[in-house]
Amino acid sequence: MDYYYNVLTTVAINMIAILSMYLLIGLTGIFSMGQASFMCVGAYTAGMLATKTALPFGVVIIISIAAGLLSALFVGIPVIKLRRDYIALVTLGFGEAVVALLNNMSNITGGANGINNIPRKVNLWIALGFLVVVVFIILNFKNSRFGRYCIAIKNDELSAAAMGINVARIKLLSFVIAGGITALAGCLMAYNTTYIEPMAYGSAKSIDWICYVFVGGVNSLSGTLVAGAVFNILPEALRVVSIYRILVQGVIVLLTINFLPQGLFGEAEIWTIFQNLFKKKKRKTISSKER
Amino acid sequence: MNILEVENLSVHFGGVKAVQNVSLTVEKGKITSIIGPNGAGKTTFFNLVSGVIPPASGRIIFDGEDITNLSQYEISHKGISRTFQNIRLFNQLNILQNVQSALDARAHYNIFEAFLGLPGKRKVDKENREKSRYYLEIVGMKALAEERPNSLPYGMQRRLELARALASNPKLLLLDEPAAGLNPAEVEEFIALIKKIQSLFDITILLIDHRLKVVHTLSDQIYVLDFGQLLAKGTSEEISRNKDVIRAYMGEEDEE
Repeated sequence: MDYYYNVLTTVAINMIAILSMYLLIGLTGIFSMGQASFMCVGAYTAGMLATKTALPFGVVIIISIAAGLLSALFVGIPVIKLRRDYIALVTLGFGEAVVALLNNMSNITGGANGINNIPRKVNLWIALGFLVVVVFIILNFKNSRFGRYCIAIKNDELSAAAMGINVARIKLLSFVIAGGITALAGCLMAYNTTYIEPMAYGSAKSIDWICYVFVGGVNSLSGTLVAGAVFNILPEALRVVSIYRILVQGVIVLLTINFLPQGLFGEAEIWTIFQNLFKKKKRKTISSKER
Repeated sequence: MNILEVENLSVHFGGVKAVQNVSLTVEKGKITSIIGPNGAGKTTFFNLVSGVIPPASGRIIFDGEDITNLSQYEISHKGISRTFQNIRLFNQLNILQNVQSALDARAHYNIFEAFLGLPGKRKVDKENREKSRYYLEIVGMKALAEERPNSLPYGMQRRLELARALASNPKLLLLDEPAAGLNPAEVEEFIALIKKIQSLFDITILLIDHRLKVVHTLSDQIYVLDFGQLLAKGTSEEISRNKDVIRAYMGEEDEE
């Protein structure tokens, strides 16, 4: 039982990180190939503070988020005015640089050995609690003027600017928010696994996240949630054939992109699908009455 | 009174002088047109005025203010709004949200109110949805609010762009070939729509078009561009009698 409990905690934390990718790719259309490095930033901030100081859990979380926001701002300001493909390249470089830096600054970060003995303070309920809060925040963001800016920018930057939207500022905003959310996930992960090492946060992880968003449906928050959950639980379920994990994931991604280019959910959200079903039933009953 | 004054505006792309020393004025409350053959620099001129590309030299004065080197979104906030020759709508937003995007850009709630969905934010959003419905009603598309723009026929997409441009409550509206691709019946509707807009709002219109019918019926003043240079200016009658214009623009053919 304990085992499943741990798996679900890890899945919930990973889903927080994947949601940040939804914010970037799904809403704003920014391809960040180094998003996992912000998770690294959060995890190391938390890890170092937890092992070297006596700061309480809550304060460490806030500092980690702040570290994520600041590093995203630091990367974002020079990057955000670049074209989409160059953003992908620069963030990829940044991600690898962070991993290399943590690997080599062994006197502070423990190098490839990472940081051990972080107290375990995250359980399933805390992780789920944070997941719910992040979903709530991102949903509200999506349904606000900022979310509509992001979609407008993704669809047509020129036309968005002509409507009076400050394109660079909104892109930076979404990049920074995503950085903060990813760092939060990193912080929770450090407190969950009690052990962190840099190699787990390379570009492969960022690219995995991009795949999840695409499979779930680029414009669908619930699609991202479902795909994130499935892809994170799958490796545990396939533990016996773990070497085929990447194969299975690759096949799913290929099939989805081939047959459902919009992703599993497309632009729909689970709740709107249910609403529509309900509405259709209502309409049917009305029309049958009319008859 | 002139709302827009352009002085000696020039821009070149490599060796191509797209716009050369163009000076023109747009009178407040009137409809001014720019006509010219393909490649005359009409759209480039619009791109200069709306800030898409910076001019190489010259000045643009809008409503008494120099807006020459402002960026696109700043110019939009000064009160210039535009439509595009090749329609540029936000296909992943619904029709209402497309119009609302212009109002959103002028809404004043901050990111934390947005995160938490506070009542202040909801009130502003609700008001803006109502306003957007009003603009959709003007162009006769209120019933389609929840649809996606890419499901619309071409003529309606044009009208939606117009509604979106109007929603930013501009002082000057730039229409880039608004009647392109419309059939004769739609052109009639469009002319009526422009007249309606002019009667409803305190607005100045600068438009580019190929259709002489549109230009002649609507314009108070016409400028003719050819090879990036200003060829002539005048009322529609003066222009249709101008020999240079006939040679450059209409060639040997009859009027369409």
